[in-house]
This record gives sequence, structure tokens and C-alpha cells, in this order.
Amino acid sequence: MNTMINKPVNVHTLWIAMLLLTMATYAMGELGFSGAAVMLFLLLTAAVKATFIIRDFMELRGVSLLWRVIMYGWLLIVCTAIAITYIISL
Amino acid sequence: MNTATIISEPLLEESRLLPGDLAIWFFIFMELLVFGIAFVSYAVVRVQNVEMFNQYQLTLDRELGAINTLLLITASYFVVRAIHAIRINDVRGCIQWLYASLGCGAGFLLLKSVEYYEKFSEGINLSTNTFYMFYLSLTMFHFLHVILGMIILFAVTIKAQRGGYSAQDHIGIETGASYWHMVDLVWIILFPLVYIIR
Repeated sequence: MNTMINKPVNVHTLWIAMLLLTMATYAMGELGFSGAAVMLFLLLTAAVKATFIIRDFMELRGVSLLWRVIMYGWLLIVCTAIAITYIISL
Repeated sequence: MNTATIISEPLLEESRLLPGDLAIWFFIFMELLVFGIAFVSYAVVRVQNVEMFNQYQLTLDRELGAINTLLLITASYFVVRAIHAIRINDVRGCIQWLYASLGCGAGFLLLKSVEYYEKFSEGINLSTNTFYMFYLSLTMFHFLHVILGMIILFAVTIKAQRGGYSAQDHIGIETGASYWHMVDLVWIILFPLVYIIR
């Protein structure tokens, strides 16, 4: 796991990236952006952050496929369901 | 016996075990299922109340929501640092990172309480309208999980202070960390869903 600290893409850079993505999400809200493209961007941003948490913070990289399917499957189903309902309501 | 060893070794090479106690993972999967259903319910109900949801979403404090997101992500990062510390037998460093993470958790609870105080002062409650019903129930349910996560982390920190963990034996810290990351993971979806996306 210590290799995760020494690589260029490591837990430190992922942490910074997640902070920046959160600020980008906040900025989108402050600017009052809406619409399908913005919604998909915001969901994608959340999904990227969630993937970093699952893969690198929870350390599910390399665990049995079943556990990864459950975690990434949950993320995919929730984000897809949200996206579909928002597109319906446009 | 030798045959069993030969058969099982390649399997162990192929995939790592889940960090922490396996039992916490079933608890995590159950929690994610409940939150997942709640998120999708919010999105489905919104379809029939788009104007109301868009109107009242604007009354939420996005600054506090964003700061709280930064706090939870940072709290998760600090727990990752704590695990890295204990893996090199740096018990003191591990304890410091755990307390730093607890500090972020306390900050989250404080800011969320300020947010609730503002809303309750305006006379808003669960029965005000459908949007606030979802906003309050979703965030309060999550709030309770932050408290539970902090209790688990605090218990782990106390055990670490008493010399209960080492580089060879720290499954308890991994167990607490996994639950703490789940609390962060849920908020990462909740924040844009309730505060931003419209």
C-alpha cells in the first residue's frame, strides 16, 4: 500500500483532485447552471470522486470481483437512475 | 495438506481480501442499499415536483454543504494516512491522523447543526413540503451515520492509544476506516443530488 503514496497518482493527489472537483461542483451551483449536460457533468464528477474513495481509500483495488461488482454496481445503478429521472423531468 | 496448500496459494495471489472485518462490509452493503433507495426515491419524487424541488433547493446553504463535503473528504484522507502510519508501526502518527479525522467529523456535525438551526428557526420541518421532507430526512439519516462513524473511530483511537494496534495487527483500524469511508461515499452523492443538481 505504501507504493500508493510514492506513485505520481497517489492518495495525496487524489485527495487534492477530490477537493478541486467539489469546488467545481459548488461553482456550478453558484453560477446557477442547469440542463442535461450540466446534470451529467455533476453526476460524472460525483462518480469519479466515489470511484477514488472505493478504489483507493477503501482499498478495493484488486479484491475479489464480487465485492467490486457490488460497490461499483451500486454507484452505477444509483447514478444512472438519477440521470434517467432528471432527463425525464426536463 | 500439501495439495491444499498448492491449490489455495494461487487463489490468494489472485485477489486480496477486503480490508478490515468481513462483517463490517455486510453492514456497509446494507447501508449503501438503504441510501441508494433513498437517493432514487428523491429523484423519482422530484419528477412530479420539479418546480417545487428547484425552488426550495435554492434556499439551502450551498457554502456550508460544499465546506462539509471538503471536510468529509479530508476526514477520509486522514484515516488513509492513519492506516499508512500503523502499517509502518508509527503508532503515534496513526493516533494523530485519527484525531485529525475526528476533528473534521466534528466540524461537519457543527456546520450541519448550524444549517439545521437556520432552517428550524425559519419554522421549517419535515411536514413543510416534500422537498424539505427529503432534505431533512436524507441529511439527518446521514448525520446519524457520521456520529456512529465517529464513535467507531474514537473507540479505535482509544485502543490505539493503549497500544492495541501494530503493523502486524491493525484489522480494527481498517474496519473503522471502511465504515468511515462509506459515510464519505454516501455524502459525495448526496451533496450534488440535494444541493446542486437542478
